[in-house]
Amino acid sequence: MTNGRHIPEEDLPLLAAGALPEEECAALRAHAAGCAECAAKLAEERGRAALLALAATQEKPAPTIKAELFARIRAEGEKEERYRWPAQADKGGESGRALRQVSGQAGRALAGGTNWWNWVLAPLAAALLIAAVVQWREGRRLEAELDGANQHLAEMVKERQRTEMLLDVLAAQDTVSVKMAGMPGAEKATGAVQYSARKGMVMYTAVLPPLPANKTYQLWLVPTTGTPISAGIFAPEERGTKKIWMAEVPVNTEAKAFAVTVEPAGGVPQPTGAKVLVGAVGG
Amino acid sequence: MSPHGSTGELVSDWSLLERVVRKDESALSALYDRYSGLVFSEAKRILRDTGAAEEILQDLFFQVWRTAERFDAARGSLAGWLLVAARNRAISRLRRNTGKTEDLDENGVSLRVDLESVAAQNVLLNKVRTVMGSLPEGQRQAVELAYFEGMSHTEIADKTGQPLGTVKTRIRSAMETLKQVLR
Repeated sequence: MTNGRHIPEEDLPLLAAGALPEEECAALRAHAAGCAECAAKLAEERGRAALLALAATQEKPAPTIKAELFARIRAEGEKEERYRWPAQADKGGESGRALRQVSGQAGRALAGGTNWWNWVLAPLAAALLIAAVVQWREGRRLEAELDGANQHLAEMVKERQRTEMLLDVLAAQDTVSVKMAGMPGAEKATGAVQYSARKGMVMYTAVLPPLPANKTYQLWLVPTTGTPISAGIFAPEERGTKKIWMAEVPVNTEAKAFAVTVEPAGGVPQPTGAKVLVGAVGG
Repeated sequence: MSPHGSTGELVSDWSLLERVVRKDESALSALYDRYSGLVFSEAKRILRDTGAAEEILQDLFFQVWRTAERFDAARGSLAGWLLVAARNRAISRLRRNTGKTEDLDENGVSLRVDLESVAAQNVLLNKVRTVMGSLPEGQRQAVELAYFEGMSHTEIADKTGQPLGTVKTRIRSAMETLKQVLR
């Protein structure tokens, strides 16, 4: 935490080498984002730390990776081309090309006038035009469905990993349960924390009143020594849902209590707002 | 494609990047040839998994292709950005099982050394290896655990059994040595 002061010189190499806990990193990065002097120093220190990468044993990736990269780039380009039709010229898409040919034939047939063949070709071309439009739209629909399915799969994988983490914390031998009770002004609020110091993991649920605009709830681990440690910001759960939040804190931190405060949106490095939930470890 | 121009001079990263903005595949190919080894080796060192390292490598260069116009020469070096981004992504992936998928600030990497030619890369590779090899064991271990394993100083202190202050001092000293050698 910088409290508005510049990032201490002695913290810069630790931050750049990735050796600071995330809570400290977040505060220092937030300061650098608004301080050109610290941002420049940090950029230089990061550049130096990046060269540590050169200590790794140097290997070449398989040639197929480059080929795959360019195949991916071309596939992406073709996909974008298809989606641009008909607002922009579709120079590469098959359906677009077919559509332009049929459209041209239909237009010429309808505009031809005197040749009797036009009377035969015009309805045929129009039918082909409709078929091509239907095919193009179907192609887009299938691609959209595929994108949706891929996204759904990614979400399922993420959810499974989260479930495994929850089980991991629950199964840890040192996990303690802490019930948090509402403070004056939020007497009906309740919350529960499961905390494994060895894993440095906190999982929690809470039932809380809705928040004012631009405010957030923030959970704090109150250690036996030192200042409170943020265990994440969260929003009240929607009616009928029971959300479980997870956060990581420095491992082997002995906790004496947990508390929830109301803080400005985005959270703060140290608690400033009113306590709405408090629970003592072993209480 | 050769990373050199028609007259044989080395084409700078930023010239190549400008061409990537104009969707010139040969420019991306040159950048890939220039940095893929460094990026892949770093990601593999962190993840110890060839497939995962290749995935990160490909994703990074795909991002360069798609968002080249967002890179700002004034904010730093492309090589530095690639190395920091590869490290952050690999660490993020490494820690996925423990939930550390925090947003990673990959902006603003100022590299005051040249990595654009194979010769320059070889010089720096030797320098960095020499520095790492010459560090006292405790310093080398601390900085490697931080950079390649993504451990915080607290975690390193816990793992090595050293006081937190000692770990911090070791990392600062190692980084200072690197600074002196690269000056």
